[in-house]
Amino acid sequence: MSHADFVEQLADPGRIRVNTRFGEFDADPRDVLNFPDGLPGFEHCHRFVVLSSMTMAPLQCLHAVDGPAATFLAVDPRLVLSKYRCVLTQGDMARLGADDSSLLLWLALVAVDEGGEATVNLRAPIVINPARMTGFQVVPSNSLYPLRYPLTVE
Amino acid sequence: MLVFTRKRNEAIMIGDGIEIRVLRVGRDGVRIGVSAPAAVPVHRREIYDQICEENRSAAGTAAAAHLLVERLRKIAAQAQPPASAGADARPSRS
Repeated sequence: MSHADFVEQLADPGRIRVNTRFGEFDADPRDVLNFPDGLPGFEHCHRFVVLSSMTMAPLQCLHAVDGPAATFLAVDPRLVLSKYRCVLTQGDMARLGADDSSLLLWLALVAVDEGGEATVNLRAPIVINPARMTGFQVVPSNSLYPLRYPLTVE
Repeated sequence: MLVFTRKRNEAIMIGDGIEIRVLRVGRDGVRIGVSAPAAVPVHRREIYDQICEENRSAAGTAAAAHLLVERLRKIAAQAQPPASAGADARPSRS
């Protein structure tokens, strides 16, 4: 769905109501990220907002504003491992509409197990081109990074 | 599901730009070549499935994630006044 369609379907075209476990608030449609392919397992979620707050930092919340309810806790993988690197293919850059990989934003999804220990998915990070407000989750065929890297806060 | 019989070097087309060609047929596997536009993601199914599962697991623990955030907030609040060193900031059940 195009940006115009999205704005049209809102009762109030200026703002979009976002309901999350962290509270309810209004988001500007210009802050909405487009994930044309959704996320693996959440293929019908095409639009997300990233929620940040001083108190949550460096954790952020990736929240789907349409499709099935999906809220993820996320963190910049470079804060977890300072030398973290994910190589993008030409195809990846084409999907992002990006020329310069240094301008991209990265998020790794956080999972919390039954014991309350948190892990970060460093294998399949989410990459966002803020210039185009578009992103996707990288599905690497060979990655040395684990799906469940223990999250510790320095 | 559409089912085709293909010999070595024969291909199928999907839409305008995607071609799947049988390169070699071995005893234990079939070597397949996929030609697709750069912006079309192509994945090995089992890797994609693994990430699906991890994503569902991450979304399923959003409630626990809330607890984690609460805990991090408390740790941050405690750590702030005299900047106490050695605070254990590992998340744990609260």
